[in-house]
Amino acid sequence: MAEKITHSICVGGPIAIHTVDGVIRRIRPVVLDNNDPKGWTIKARGEEFTPTRKLQPGFIAMTEKNRAYSYDRIRYPMIREDFVETPDGQNRNTEMRGKSGYRRASWDEALDLIVREIKRIQGMYGKESVTAMTSSHHSWGNVGYKLSTFARFFRMLGYTEVKDNPDSWEGFTWGGPHTYGYYWRLGGTEAFDLLEDALQNVETMIMWSHDPDTTRGGYAGNESTMWRHWLNDLGVQFIYIDPFNNFSSVKQADKWLAPRPGTDAALCEAIAYVWLTEGTYDKEYIAKHGHRFDEWCDFILGNGADRLAKTPKWCEAETGIPAADIKAMARRWASTKTMGGSGMRGGFGGVCRTANGTEFARTMMLLFAMQGMGKPGQNVWSGSTGAPMDYDFWFGGYSDPLAQIANEPIADKTAVNSVTQKLYRTNLPEAILNGHYEWYGEGFCGGGIDLEFTEHIYPEPGCSKVHMFWRYGGTFMGTMLDTNKWVKMYQSSELEFVVNQDIHFHGEARFADVVLPACTNLERYDIGELCNSGNGGYQSHSQTGNSWQIVVFQDKAIEPLWESRSDYWIFAETAKRLGWGEEFTEGRTELDWCKRFWEKSDLCDRISWEDFTKKGYYIVPVPEDRIRRPGFCWFAEGYACDTPNHKPFQEEGKLGTFTGKFEFVSESLLYWAPHDEARTPIASYKRSWEGHHSIKARKYPFHLISPHPRFDYHTQHNSSTPWFWEIPENREYINGNPYLVARVHPEKAAEKGIKDGDIIELFNERGSVLCVARVTYRVEVNTIHAYGSSGVYNPVVPGEMSQDIGGCVNVLTPGRLMGDMVPGMAPNSTLMDVRKHEDCLPLGQMFEYKLDKVARG
Amino acid sequence: MRLGIAVDSRMCMACYCCFMACKDEHCGHDSALSAAQPMMGQKWIDVREWERGDSSRRVKTASVPTLCAHCKDPACMKAAKDGAVYKREGGVVIIDPEKSKGQKQIADACPIGVVYWNEELEIPQKCTMCAELLEDPEYLSYLGDRSLVKPRCVEACPNKALIFGDLDDPNSEISKLIASEKNTPLPGLEDEKTLVKWLNVPTVYLAGTVYQPKELDEVLPGAVVKLTCRETGETWQTESNYFGDWEVEWLPKNKNIEIVIEAKGYKPVTYSAFTDADHYVDMTYLAKA
Repeated sequence: MAEKITHSICVGGPIAIHTVDGVIRRIRPVVLDNNDPKGWTIKARGEEFTPTRKLQPGFIAMTEKNRAYSYDRIRYPMIREDFVETPDGQNRNTEMRGKSGYRRASWDEALDLIVREIKRIQGMYGKESVTAMTSSHHSWGNVGYKLSTFARFFRMLGYTEVKDNPDSWEGFTWGGPHTYGYYWRLGGTEAFDLLEDALQNVETMIMWSHDPDTTRGGYAGNESTMWRHWLNDLGVQFIYIDPFNNFSSVKQADKWLAPRPGTDAALCEAIAYVWLTEGTYDKEYIAKHGHRFDEWCDFILGNGADRLAKTPKWCEAETGIPAADIKAMARRWASTKTMGGSGMRGGFGGVCRTANGTEFARTMMLLFAMQGMGKPGQNVWSGSTGAPMDYDFWFGGYSDPLAQIANEPIADKTAVNSVTQKLYRTNLPEAILNGHYEWYGEGFCGGGIDLEFTEHIYPEPGCSKVHMFWRYGGTFMGTMLDTNKWVKMYQSSELEFVVNQDIHFHGEARFADVVLPACTNLERYDIGELCNSGNGGYQSHSQTGNSWQIVVFQDKAIEPLWESRSDYWIFAETAKRLGWGEEFTEGRTELDWCKRFWEKSDLCDRISWEDFTKKGYYIVPVPEDRIRRPGFCWFAEGYACDTPNHKPFQEEGKLGTFTGKFEFVSESLLYWAPHDEARTPIASYKRSWEGHHSIKARKYPFHLISPHPRFDYHTQHNSSTPWFWEIPENREYINGNPYLVARVHPEKAAEKGIKDGDIIELFNERGSVLCVARVTYRVEVNTIHAYGSSGVYNPVVPGEMSQDIGGCVNVLTPGRLMGDMVPGMAPNSTLMDVRKHEDCLPLGQMFEYKLDKVARG
Repeated sequence: MRLGIAVDSRMCMACYCCFMACKDEHCGHDSALSAAQPMMGQKWIDVREWERGDSSRRVKTASVPTLCAHCKDPACMKAAKDGAVYKREGGVVIIDPEKSKGQKQIADACPIGVVYWNEELEIPQKCTMCAELLEDPEYLSYLGDRSLVKPRCVEACPNKALIFGDLDDPNSEISKLIASEKNTPLPGLEDEKTLVKWLNVPTVYLAGTVYQPKELDEVLPGAVVKLTCRETGETWQTESNYFGDWEVEWLPKNKNIEIVIEAKGYKPVTYSAFTDADHYVDMTYLAKA
């Protein structure tokens, strides 16, 4: 029995897939052979550093076989058993969504029903009455990606687009551009060639709300972990700042500082206070590159409007960190070459998802400016990007408009949406339930600062409300806020028809009227580059988070399992039934589209289609005589910007702010939002609308932080891969249910009578969640840590807003946006209380509830 | 040639790649040397972790991937009847899935708890060091280089925490690593020669922070911290760093340690600590002399 080896990329990294007789046997990392090119070499401090000749996927990638054959795969098209296809869309038992079982349907029956409903609803109310929403990174690959196949279908259909909020880097999108520009990088900085700079020069790393071994460079797996070992071994000091002594910190930190959640901006201010009073900042740099610095100094030193000096002692009271430690930290930073940042690309991290997220992002950037950001060894760089790469090689990433089948040149004709009305993801439930919603912003706002202030009203004047919702991709029950409002939305009769197209029967799929089984990307053709979110799209050149640049032919390893089909097939079939199938496909199969990506990129100059598909991947060599273009150095040194993905004004040495400088008083905010209290022209720490100063804190004294998960990717793995439940730091499988770990400080655990391993109830006025307690010194004393993005959503009474036992702690998070004009979410500003769960445990529902007998066939 | 695995605890970040690769290989699949691992319940490579420290001022974790050590003189083999456990050429210890049926004592005999009892099949099961893959000429033949073939856990490790190679070749990567790093056999295996070697598994640390008098809100770098164990006569010395922090790792377990903290111009402070576990001794506020 010969094994067939094919390759793919998943959100955990690239993999080699072994199949035997059409069945996947094993999933392995891609090991380079002797014909693959040499890796890059960095010379630093008398040593040479080069990556291991193997790609380094995360552990989630090793479970793709298991996830493909998972018990909770959606196997057949299904229709809600009490759904009634009434001619007027009323009386459809919508209140039963989430509770009712399903009956198996044929593809013809399901698709014909969908097409009848699209025609009925769009005919009755207008094209805009259909809306559709994707999850992020459903499956890797440029053909299947949401901005490709999904976008092509819905733009051709005409629909109300749901704009995404920048859910992983909120504070940086809404804050960064007003302080130092980079709106086109969504508030994040540029990290080009900074790994080499760091290995050669850095002495101190500030890892602020950053857990690189957990966030894994976004989609880079463990490609960068060895770099941080190298830095460690060179004696570089790592200071981690996080209310949770996270999984990177606990292994690597020379110092862990644990601020009370959401008070990090106060810590920034106190560090500035030390530098200002001791004169230990780069005065020349600030004189040249800072705008209205003196006014900011006045504010920090206590001569501003609030007459409050931001002293370390004041900061100690806010953050809980001893004043002496704050001073020591400030002095270390000022006296050594220091790099750092928040989150995987310098501008991510859990702090930017607090009520104070913009103000933290802005003040942190100002601190790096005060120490001469862009000089050797002094930069925003957080240890998980910035490897050498060949910038002259172009293969499109998923956010590249040029690398989507929705657009030319991949398609012959670009698909254009004829509907202008929009919705906003975080507040979709409010819009549906209230029939009215207003907000500022335009999704990620990468096109310009002004986009942040775009006024939106739903329904748009002259437009209809939405009445059909097509949900595509993984569940949001564990990633969006205040989960129960989504339950209410789904049960509203405003939504006459709901479709869910997903691979697994996760929390959100069970609220649909029709469920369509999509297949994994191991069961269809695709093509993609590891960790390429787009060269020219947003956060360009994220592949510098890899040790190796690799483009993969994502060969079809097996046929679609059960009756699942590829997303492309589903949309093409629906388009055909709507009468424009040929226009949708342009006569191409998925494999034809893959070849278009090869043909329209630099790949076709490097390797023939035949060799590429035979070998399965192409490693992009880094030229030995590569030109170094360290990020932000052009600004510090004053030469014309030479880094990729730059704007014309950077060649004149300017940033993307109004003044082209670091704005200590933001001119763009003075212009657009001078009276906004959440995000003031002078970036400053503000008491959270849900924090320890709130009245509510007397009743709910704990902060809940729910960072991006270590033991999952979005919500994709935990429900489908029971192996994850055997990881003691992740879950504990008790009584038929995998309870999520929630971490409690020993001091508070003792007060509450909680012991390690107890079942505990996390609760506030929004709901309650049962978790299993880990009593640990790794959390700040007032903090409960439980990872967000729970893949399991398991309310005790299905479809009700009842207690959840799946670990979906987003049930507890506030739906409120950061500010009236700051449309970011803030799940890490959550107050709650905790108690030991004394009642008997609810019966486990993992297996019984998930798929009823008919659907399981 | 004796092929073995070095487990470097210092490099392990508990990423669980080894764990998942092992499950991917063995769960639900019989091999030439073993019956299928059940889908849940067995951990042929188990990432054992514990939290180190008794204060949020200093806390770390230890991570020790724990798999069959492939002992030279295996306790499981002694416990087995009818030759149900045997050693292959090179020393890899294998449990015969047929002959071992009903022999629960084989699982119970393992000093480090990595032989698992399969209730359904009534057999003991454990790691094979993927010997069945290593000797299969078809496996990974597409790579064209046999030296790239490794046990699944080692191949999946992104961190050089698992190193595979020839223990008998003094120039192999694994032999050099074993020669240069702290050898820390697991409790129960101290006197055993094994193909799996554990390195840098931590013992106990003591740590603290030195401050100037409390009202000053200042740390005190450069204070000298001396540790003495009267029982063994060992001494250790370190200095407080830029955060005022000091730490001494690799202390012997279950000893009384005397600590003296001194700095010029300040009155010395003494402590005694017991190394039953990792301790954060104190935030020490020195008084002016």
